[in-house]
Amino acid sequence: MHWHGNAAAGIAMALSLLAALPAASAEAPIRIGSPYATSTLDPMRSAAAGNIETFGQLYSRLLRRGADGALEPGLAVSWDISADGTVVTLKLRDANFSDGSPISAADVAFSLLRVRDDAESAYAAPLQQLKEARAEGDKTVVLTLKHPFAPFLGNLEVFNAGIVSKADVEKRGKDAFTKDPVTSGPYMVGEWRPNDRLILKPNPNYWRVGYPKNAGAELIEVPDANTRVSMMLSGELDAARDIPWSRVSEIQAREGLTLPLEPSTVIYMTLLNEMKPPFDDIKVRQAAAHALDAPAIAKAMTLGHAKRATTTLPAVDYHAADYPGIDYDPAKAKALLAESNYKGEELVILASSSGDNDKLSVLIQAQWTAVGIKSKIEKVDRGVWWERIPAGDYHASASWWYNETLDPDLAVRWALCGSCGSKSFYTGYNNKHVDEMTEAAARELDKAKRAELYREIQATTTTEVSQIPLFYAPYANAYSDRIKGLGMNPMLQWSLEETTVAGE
Amino acid sequence: MMSLPLASTRRQLEPGTFEIIAGTAIILAWVILALAAPLFSGADPNSIDLSGLLQPPSADHFFGTDHLGRDVFTRVLHAARIDVWMGIAGVMPPLLVGATIGLVSGYAGGATDAVMMRLVDITVAFPFFVLVIAIVGILGPGLFNYFVALALVGWVSYARLVRAEVLVLKNKEFVAAAQALGYPPSIIMARHVLPNTLSSLLVYATTDAVLVLLAGASLGFLGLGVQPPTPEWGAMIADGQPYVVDAWWICFFPGLAAMSLGFGFILTSDGLSRVLGR
Amino acid sequence: MPFLFALGQRLLQLIPVLIGISVVSFLLVQLSPGDPIRLLLGDRATAEAVAQLREQYGFDRPLIVQYFSYVSNVLQGDLGRSIRYQLPVESLILDFLPPTLFLIGYVVAISVPTTVVLAIVSARCRDRWPDHLIRAAAILGMTIPVFWLALMMSRLFGVELGWFPVSGYGDGFVGHLHHLFLPAISTSTWLIPLLLRNLRAALINESESDYVTASRSKGLGEGYIFRRHVLVNSVLPTLNLLGVMIAFLIGSSVVVEIIYAVPGLGTLMVSAVLGRDYYVIQGLTLFYAIATVIVTLTIDILSAMIDPRVKL
Repeated sequence: MHWHGNAAAGIAMALSLLAALPAASAEAPIRIGSPYATSTLDPMRSAAAGNIETFGQLYSRLLRRGADGALEPGLAVSWDISADGTVVTLKLRDANFSDGSPISAADVAFSLLRVRDDAESAYAAPLQQLKEARAEGDKTVVLTLKHPFAPFLGNLEVFNAGIVSKADVEKRGKDAFTKDPVTSGPYMVGEWRPNDRLILKPNPNYWRVGYPKNAGAELIEVPDANTRVSMMLSGELDAARDIPWSRVSEIQAREGLTLPLEPSTVIYMTLLNEMKPPFDDIKVRQAAAHALDAPAIAKAMTLGHAKRATTTLPAVDYHAADYPGIDYDPAKAKALLAESNYKGEELVILASSSGDNDKLSVLIQAQWTAVGIKSKIEKVDRGVWWERIPAGDYHASASWWYNETLDPDLAVRWALCGSCGSKSFYTGYNNKHVDEMTEAAARELDKAKRAELYREIQATTTTEVSQIPLFYAPYANAYSDRIKGLGMNPMLQWSLEETTVAGE
Repeated sequence: MMSLPLASTRRQLEPGTFEIIAGTAIILAWVILALAAPLFSGADPNSIDLSGLLQPPSADHFFGTDHLGRDVFTRVLHAARIDVWMGIAGVMPPLLVGATIGLVSGYAGGATDAVMMRLVDITVAFPFFVLVIAIVGILGPGLFNYFVALALVGWVSYARLVRAEVLVLKNKEFVAAAQALGYPPSIIMARHVLPNTLSSLLVYATTDAVLVLLAGASLGFLGLGVQPPTPEWGAMIADGQPYVVDAWWICFFPGLAAMSLGFGFILTSDGLSRVLGR
Repeated sequence: MPFLFALGQRLLQLIPVLIGISVVSFLLVQLSPGDPIRLLLGDRATAEAVAQLREQYGFDRPLIVQYFSYVSNVLQGDLGRSIRYQLPVESLILDFLPPTLFLIGYVVAISVPTTVVLAIVSARCRDRWPDHLIRAAAILGMTIPVFWLALMMSRLFGVELGWFPVSGYGDGFVGHLHHLFLPAISTSTWLIPLLLRNLRAALINESESDYVTASRSKGLGEGYIFRRHVLVNSVLPTLNLLGVMIAFLIGSSVVVEIIYAVPGLGTLMVSAVLGRDYYVIQGLTLFYAIATVIVTLTIDILSAMIDPRVKL
């Protein structure tokens, strides 16, 4: 018993000592909690959400996005596009890597070609149209394209087009990115504790003089949503990603915290496997779409914080916002089913256990049952989900995706184009006309004509139900008043370098 | 305190009976509630009402509604069908296997003991989550496979527990006497050793049953356990987790149900262990 | 000397244990669906990129070949590199080990004395109010879902009262004590009842056994009987249970680690399993095996010290 008393007294004493310590000082780093992990520091090696957020802090691209979302000069001060649209010449500014060495045209060519060609490159799609990248002297880069390509400048701003040091990568090989990569962005790595946190410290050689406007940041992995909320409420975080919808109003009402619901390119939808019955039949797909009350689903899933989705594309440029979408019409769904090949077999709804997907699956199952589509839910972890979806081992799956840039080209190639490699997000949806329009829209330099093409792509794929669009979810990121100027743009990039800490 | 008599309860009549009756009554009550769930609440446990999300408890919805507008009261009752069974089926196979291994291992000693205990080491050290993804991958997701996973791992605690008891028991006079009289080991184990381990076995098994009821929820994210939307207390608790502050009733009532069933198990075992202990 | 001999014997027995565990876990992980490369590269990676990288990592070779090349690396002291992080597995494990060990030590330091005191009080006051109170509290502690308790405590003591941090591991010994207080209490809440009920039952069982009655009839004092006979004989099963629980906790204190965002082995294992990071899973498995054998051996040695009739 004595031991107990002593321990209690000891703990109490320790606590009073700790309580006397000052709360987070102005010099303390900005702490950001996110469920999305940083799993690599090499910008070409992953296209997963957490890494996309990190790459933006470590590597500058040739172009950057301003606060209004418009493309601005980044490492390139200016650029010139040839009359036929196939040669882009960029002038680099005088800028240095974090190790003090100059960023040269050779580094730029190396970084871009690496993304296009390296076997370990996760996402070469944005640079597929790049035929040749050539350094002309130290400060001029000449990029030759296979054909005119409207989204190209935007694609130079995509997360994996960050510039890395050619000399360092060639010298250290893979080890260049395991601990302390040479960076070109606002920050460099203070310490990386994989599976826990990434500590960022300002890059003294960053080309934007006067930035970052803070002493550093910690990107902390906090997988549990309630824990992130508790940490925000107790002041252990300055910002948090993905606050659950059920806690949004609580955070918004709390003094010292804000939750602005920022626009994103996230779309929630339902994949229908068109490579096998019954969803190979367009009537069954249309029935399945008319059976879903998308506005009610959006409201129930996000407690009214999201807008229903009206087309198969998320809120990117050229989004046909006035398109009416697929209406909720159970009677029509039943009629379509009666005309179709569906004979009441039980379908598998594959639900990934991450996020809200299982909840969404339950809603879809119930609304399908009401019109006579029978189904059972199989809940699996992401690893199994990503094995079964590409293999076509499912009938339907509720999920979500986002686009990493505002131009719709990459989104269309990923989710709607049958011949672009991912078989329309592994649904097997394949419409030759859509594929042709995809190529035509990418080559079309006239904005009005592009808009017309993308509108037709959206209309066709929505009518043919390549996927069932459900809702567009904004980011629910929470911010503390201790920091000013932090936000996330639709490309998953934090404005961390602009952020100031109150009292500094 | 140290000078208080140890056996002060000996004068009580039939100790343990009250616990057995009370505990069994709770379990039986849940069995009846489960079987008669449609009588108590006519609603479909999976019926969704998007116009009535997150309603607090009221006369219409005794336990409120959940994030999909489903009636929590109805779901709690229907879930009992799975959970009562889960508490029993999840514990019995590991108990039987573990007790047998512990008994043999402890009594035989030597090489048998060493081999069996190393098997225990392998099982304890084996990462449960690896087993779970393998089972889901090979056998598929679902409730039955949850029991398989439990059985493959759960026997260890019983084996260590029984073995430790046996190590103490086998040095006791009555065992030595039986050995001297020439009884074969199987008889000695069954008649003299096993009955003396039963009380701690039962005590642990009921504790284990409670853990089994709640563990299903924490494995749901790997696809093991009941599949949505089937009502099950553990899964309901997990579903309600994001709403635990705003809509406490989604987690609270299934939690209370699990606690009351657990209480029934524990009372029964306390009573049984007393009756058997003499 | 017998201890040293037993230790040597155990270490020899460790070899088949390690082989057994490594083979089974290697096969299970590799046969499970889910591809580390796909998860690593992200959603939009093309099938060609995935296939190419699989080949580069050698995942397309026959399993048996992969296993032997893994084992031969391990024998040279190389546990491999994390597929996700490109870092040596042993350095990852060592980074995540301290919080888990500290937490377990903390839990044991809270649970064991509490259990012993409460069990003795409960057994000796059997069927009177202290016993009823303790047993009711034990049932409550056991049946409360851990995550719920953890959430409520972080809300009350962390957010509302601000006494304890709701996350992390802290700096320095005092910092660890402070940060891990809520996680340790949350874990102890289910561990204490588990041990307590076991010990109480054993205590009561022993106090009613024939030889205790005999001792009592010889006129020996209750306190003496209790210390010399009852406690000694009762404590062994509970000690064994504690051993199993500690071994489980090393790898499975996941819920608590995740809710309190403690960077421990449990979180590492879950993310490695979800990311199919084969070599990290393998390395952790081997580490668990060694830790389990050490814990078991310690428990067995303690058992032999408490009751000399128990042979190692």
